[in-house]
Parts: sequence; C-alpha cells; structure tokens
Amino acid sequence: MDDSLVIAGRELRSRLITGTGKYASPEVMRDAVIASGCELVTVAVGRIDLDTVGEAITDHLPEDVGLLPNTAGSATADDAVRIARLARAGGLPDWIKLEVIPDPRWLLPDPVETLRAAEQLVDEGFTVLPYVLPDPVLQKRLEAVGCAAVMPLAAPIGSGRGLKLRHAIEIMVEQAEVPVVVDAGLGAPSHAAEAMELGADAVLVNTAIARADDPAAMARAFRLAVEAGRAARLAGLIEEHETAEASSPLGGLASRS
Amino acid sequence: MSTEAFTVTVNGRVQAAGRGETVSSLLERLGVAPRYALVERNGQPVERSRYDATLLEDGDTLVVARPVAGG
Repeated sequence: MDDSLVIAGRELRSRLITGTGKYASPEVMRDAVIASGCELVTVAVGRIDLDTVGEAITDHLPEDVGLLPNTAGSATADDAVRIARLARAGGLPDWIKLEVIPDPRWLLPDPVETLRAAEQLVDEGFTVLPYVLPDPVLQKRLEAVGCAAVMPLAAPIGSGRGLKLRHAIEIMVEQAEVPVVVDAGLGAPSHAAEAMELGADAVLVNTAIARADDPAAMARAFRLAVEAGRAARLAGLIEEHETAEASSPLGGLASRS
Repeated sequence: MSTEAFTVTVNGRVQAAGRGETVSSLLERLGVAPRYALVERNGQPVERSRYDATLLEDGDTLVVARPVAGG
C-alpha cells in the first residue's frame, strides 16, 4: 500500500525527518542519517569562520537526502525572512523550516512573529513549515496563509520529555488540513511511536539520535518506531477501558461453577 | 598605492579587494567552495547565478554563510 507522506506535492516515503545538529562528528551524523532512512534533513544557516573555513555539512550528507534549511538564530520575523532569502538565493531549496525563537532558556517559538514571517515567505514563493507551540488556533492561521505543514513541539527542544503537550497535538491532528509534523522534545522511539499512533503525519528528531551512545543504532530504532506507530494508526487502535476485558473464555476447565 | 585597491568587510572583518573583484573571486580567495556558499551584499542576498558577475565596490559589507549542522 502506498502510504507516502505528501507535503506541498512532494512525496516522502519516510515519515521521519532528522536534524543534523549535536553530533560528535560529521561522519557519525552521516551514518545516523543513513540508518534513519529519512529523506529530508534539517540544516541551519551560519556565517563561515574565515579562520577555519573547513567543510560544509552538506559535504557529509548522502546525495539523495533533501535539505530543509531552518531559520535558527531568528528572534524576529525579519530575521527569519532574511535567512530564508539568503538560503534560497544561494542555491538551497525553497523549503524552509520557519523557527522564530526569542527566548534562549525554553527555546519556545514566538507565535506572532512566526505567523508574520510565514505570511511573508509564502508570498515570496517559499514552501513554509513553521515550528510552533501546539496551538490549534495558530495552526488554522498558519494554514490560512498557505503553510505546507505545521510542526508543533512535543516538549522543549532537546528536553527528551516526550509528548508533554499531547492533548493540544491531538486537536491539531483532528482538524489538520496540512500535515502535522511533531518536532522537538521526543526523547525515545516510544515517544515517536506515540506521536504517530495519535495521528501525526511525521516526526522530526535530532537530539535523541545525535546524543545517543550509538546514534546510528538509535536512528534505526526511531525509524522502526515511526513505522510501527504509523502502521498502528492505520490499523485502528482499540478504545481504552477502565476495567478488564478478558481475552480468554472465563468458563474454562478450572471453572468452579 | 593604486587607487584600484579597496576594502570590503566580510563577516565583520576588513578584507583587501582589487579591481574586478567579484563575489566568486572573493570566495575563491577566502578558500570557500562556492557550492552552497550563501552571500549577502549590503543587506541583500546575492543570487548564486550572479556570483561571477557581481562586482564588489569599496566599502561593501558582505556576509558569507553556508549550511551548518542544525535541527
């Protein structure tokens, strides 16, 4: 069965997107990206240090993996628009993970500036995937201005705490008109599976893979969890019950009656 | 001194430049592979297809960036 994820007309077989940050080395990153089976990875845009020019992260990525540039480092809509324009002019894809984060402690996105930047970037022809707090009202506003997906956080970036904002994400899934990609805060494959089971279209994982003892093995574990969670969603989960419901006949051989 | 030499600022550092200096020639002198080099000149992004043709002028302020690891 074809169960591709489609974002802005582009088919993705993998519902796992990975980040390229926080790895011990570019080689470890590459191995993990391959093991994850992902077709899309996020990259940031940074100034080159003229003293140690070094290599670009893209030199270490498999050729067939697509790039999703982000607007990390933006505290305002104007910052984000500037980064997106620079990325596209320089030959990066016109897909942009829009993140506007004014607060360094919790790294939570600014919804007002995010909406403002999204509107501007969609107008300029970008395919915009905004990173947001799980806010179903904001989701509708972002869909209305033409965002291609909406990416709610499960918990603060890098916290590994899982679906702390599960209920709001469930509402977003229920009313989504564009894909919902749960991004940030997933610490374990079970969290990713849970996100997929509740109906997320995809998940984006970075820290939980990059900081694992064996990132490539953890990337594979996340791949399997995302596949399992998606399969379970499609299979139809049972409803929860307060009390027990026997799986075996109760009137068996040892019956006292 | 030749009046043809001038300076530009790249990522906050003053760099000497010369007549005919383009974005491409500057990147080459800086040792930056043009693949995925991202350039902003005086606050405006420069299209990759224009790196060869964009002549730098005295006092230009450039930002040279590229994709880096990120989530």
